[in-house]
Amino acid sequence: MQASRARLFKEYKEVQREKSADPDIQLVCDESNIFKWTALIKGPSETPYEGGVFQLAFAIPEQYPLLPPQVRFLTKIFHPNVHFKTGEICLDILKNAWSPAWTLQSVCRAIIALMAHPEPDSPLNCDSGNLLRSGDLRGYRSMARMYTRLAATPKKR
Amino acid sequence: MHDAMANDSSVSASARDFAKKRRVNRSAKLKQCKLDARREQWLSQVKGKSCKVTPMASPPTSSSPPVPMPRPQSCLHDSDMVFANHSPTSNSPGKPPKVGCCPNNSVSSGGSTRSCSLSASDGEEEGARGEENSAIDDWETIADALSAYKSRVPPAPVNDSGAQRTMNPEPTRTIPRAWRPDDELRPQSLPNLYKQQSFPANMERHFGAKGWSHPVILSAPSSCPICYEDLDPTDSSFLPCSCGFRLCLFCHKRILEADGRCPGCRKQYSPVEGEMLGMSGVKPLLPFQLSRSYSMGSRS
Repeated sequence: MQASRARLFKEYKEVQREKSADPDIQLVCDESNIFKWTALIKGPSETPYEGGVFQLAFAIPEQYPLLPPQVRFLTKIFHPNVHFKTGEICLDILKNAWSPAWTLQSVCRAIIALMAHPEPDSPLNCDSGNLLRSGDLRGYRSMARMYTRLAATPKKR
Repeated sequence: MHDAMANDSSVSASARDFAKKRRVNRSAKLKQCKLDARREQWLSQVKGKSCKVTPMASPPTSSSPPVPMPRPQSCLHDSDMVFANHSPTSNSPGKPPKVGCCPNNSVSSGGSTRSCSLSASDGEEEGARGEENSAIDDWETIADALSAYKSRVPPAPVNDSGAQRTMNPEPTRTIPRAWRPDDELRPQSLPNLYKQQSFPANMERHFGAKGWSHPVILSAPSSCPICYEDLDPTDSSFLPCSCGFRLCLFCHKRILEADGRCPGCRKQYSPVEGEMLGMSGVKPLLPFQLSRSYSMGSRS
């Protein structure tokens, strides 16, 4: 408990100090609970998510960093590895491939990388996965772009 | 091939040529063919070495009178070189003086020129070339000598390189020329050069090793990447995983009590390390249980 709190506090200071380090990631700690974080990430360029801003919710276990943070999309996103309704993310480093050396910042980077490189063979969003697996890249991009505009475009938010 | 051979021969020849060239008779063209064949064989075996060796040969050779330089062809130079080297040893006394390598020089385009330039005697040698030694017999003996030489050769190369640097304006090591100028020096210099070269090499190794170790030390983080606490000296010297990932003892203990995997490479910490920490008893059980519980948690 204390260890996780201390570590999160260090991460918090790190984030504050390097706010401009990664303009695509904005990590914010809940004012009253250091185990609740939110993040805003920009959709990577040259993807259907380009131009969108996606909100992530971090729920950090007390055993952190020995256990990974639980992360989900608050912003609706059409992606093979993100549950369309719950926003759950299927990402190995958030499960068995987690390493205590990772940070919330690096998790955000990993999620951005996942957005740019979907893995349709382990889909949480079967519709999206099926489009990609059937080779309908155009259909996938079209759907993803539509939801990016509907749910993730800053103006709308 | 030819050039190299020529060079070698020319080099060695130059030294010897003085004495030899005049002595040598040329009847040997026919023999040359045989010789050539031998040379090729020999060269094929020795080539690498021959170049280095050749220079060495020259010094000794000069003293030895009758190095046979039978070949008319410049191509032979390599063989000549070899011969020259050997010749002092093998043939010298008994055999009639061979024509110097010089003749070879005339024949050989690239190699010959070098040889001429190198050896003052070249001009004389050229005359000899015409003669082209008949010393085929000598050649055979020389060849034998050469073969014997080969065994010796290995050390020479080192020296040669050094000598060449000094002596030769030309960068190429292949050529024995370096030795030509100071053939006499060669034998002596060889050992010296050897030492010098080996020494620096060792130095480099040490340095390299230090350099390597240093970076590691330097690379060691000042704070634990897990808990972000500063590493104390004990932690800094703590290397729990072969991947080089460092962390503080406290976090390492916690990880061992959890899934026991190195955060850097995600491999299980070896049990030995656990024992070292005195956790051997606990570790086997915990990792297993934890991994299960962990997987459970991850599923949710």
